[in-house]
Amino acid sequence: MRRADLAAAALLAGLTTIVFVLLYGPLMVPILSSFFAVSHGTVDWSQPTLSAYAALTGNESVLAALWTTLVVGACAVALSVAIGTGLALYYASPMAKGREFLQFLLFLPFLMPPIITGLALLIFFREIAFERSLVTIVIGHTVFVLALVYRTILTRLQSLSASLVEASYDLGASGWQTFRLVLLPNLSSAMAGAAILAFALSFDETMITLLVTGTQSTLPVRLWAMMRLGFTPDINALVALILFFTTALCLGAVRFLMPASALAGTEQG
Amino acid sequence: MSARPAPNLPVPAAQWATTAAAYAVPVCFVLAPMALFLATSVFSVDHGDIVYRPTLANYVRFFTDPLFPTIFWRTCLLCLAVAVLCVLLAYPVAYFLTTLRGRRRYVLLVLLLVPLLMSYVIKIYAVRSILGGNGMLNRALMALGLIDQPSMLFVFNLNAVLLTLTVLLIPFAVLPIFLSLERIPQALRHASADLGASGAQTFWRITVPLSLPGAASAASFVFVLAIGDFLTPQMVGGQSGFTFGRIVYSQFGTAYNWPFGAALSVILAVTVIAAIALGGRFGRQGRR
Repeated sequence: MRRADLAAAALLAGLTTIVFVLLYGPLMVPILSSFFAVSHGTVDWSQPTLSAYAALTGNESVLAALWTTLVVGACAVALSVAIGTGLALYYASPMAKGREFLQFLLFLPFLMPPIITGLALLIFFREIAFERSLVTIVIGHTVFVLALVYRTILTRLQSLSASLVEASYDLGASGWQTFRLVLLPNLSSAMAGAAILAFALSFDETMITLLVTGTQSTLPVRLWAMMRLGFTPDINALVALILFFTTALCLGAVRFLMPASALAGTEQG
Repeated sequence: MSARPAPNLPVPAAQWATTAAAYAVPVCFVLAPMALFLATSVFSVDHGDIVYRPTLANYVRFFTDPLFPTIFWRTCLLCLAVAVLCVLLAYPVAYFLTTLRGRRRYVLLVLLLVPLLMSYVIKIYAVRSILGGNGMLNRALMALGLIDQPSMLFVFNLNAVLLTLTVLLIPFAVLPIFLSLERIPQALRHASADLGASGAQTFWRITVPLSLPGAASAASFVFVLAIGDFLTPQMVGGQSGFTFGRIVYSQFGTAYNWPFGAALSVILAVTVIAAIALGGRFGRQGRR
């Protein structure tokens, strides 16, 4: 029986390795080839070069798309954190009306496939005669990431002891003072983590953006257009840079949101 | 906190004002678009203009045209296959995670989840560079001597869509399965072992039934994500890899028939809701 357990453990480790190769292996191809010259769709592996990265710095449309992506991300983060915090406070307050319905509405764009959220917004903007622009992209992204931001902040809010707020009121603080001096400091790390997650999601959002965009294109939409035309060296360089950036963002979000106990390795099980 | 009314307003008025403020964004940007989208699905189009007269013609067209139900059904089967493949691949990984202790468990979990937040378009592009006729997979198979010329089995067709979606969606399956495995009390497994069950018996009769809710919600998750995707089939599907998502998208672009596109999306939404409900239902049964 001992031998059977060992074999099972080895099999599990082997299968896990295969899944890791499936997840990360494909990403290595564009990253590696970004350091080599590509001509006619084939990579010249003999000589490493940074020419792809150099070509990127001169590609105006990519730089413009990067700027659009950053502006949209910043707006979506600011809006979703502000609205998400407000909604979490409202949900947790005793005066909230139709809590479950409100929450259902918030989760809907996140639960439905992005194509449906995107189409609904597209039809909406057309019917109210709202020109598609940067603003419609920001609205699309905000609606999409709001569910996640709201949920993250609400979870932290509900884990706070009610006596904190009661004590603050007992000591004579006003509602605003209680929010600013008691709730906000306790929520800040959840808000920071949610903000990073929201930015990472917005940074990569493609399907909704494709539908609600006017003439502007964000980086993923620009990439989508470039990739359909075929392989060019600067795509690989851009892909490598974006992967590096989003991975860094994720690890940042993990630091803010992971319980300290999990990172320290003190585990209860 | 917002619970406390502003001093200069009578209490109920302040409460209603706060409620109105809280509902403003969800109602304007979620409820209204969704309602308009549902309404559009029963309109029709005439010379590029939407005719605002309710009709069921779009739905009749979907069910009577031989093309659409076929593609819809084929897409459902494809996404089901993706869901099954993802669960089969994710289960051992999630189980392996639960055998690890402390910090290592969470580091590995994070490594599995990081690809979730990586650019979707980039991941499709990366997988495509492996699947192509001249791609890594074909070259590797030829180098190994398994085939002597590039195989076209997974080049710009539905197989390519299946493989790409599976690779992309595995992480979504790992998380729910891991969470349900983690919730199984260790005491149950110990009790099973104490009563003389072998490792395999404990696994099949204790662990698997108790982790079914997680596997079911993982499968419904993956199915929903796969069926809503139109980027992957567009990028790796080629001419023969037509899926429902692509047809929906094309109604809003080249075909320019928004009402029909909306009707097709409503059918998509109904399928998604059914998949989520089924996943939840199986989940509860597993828990007993």
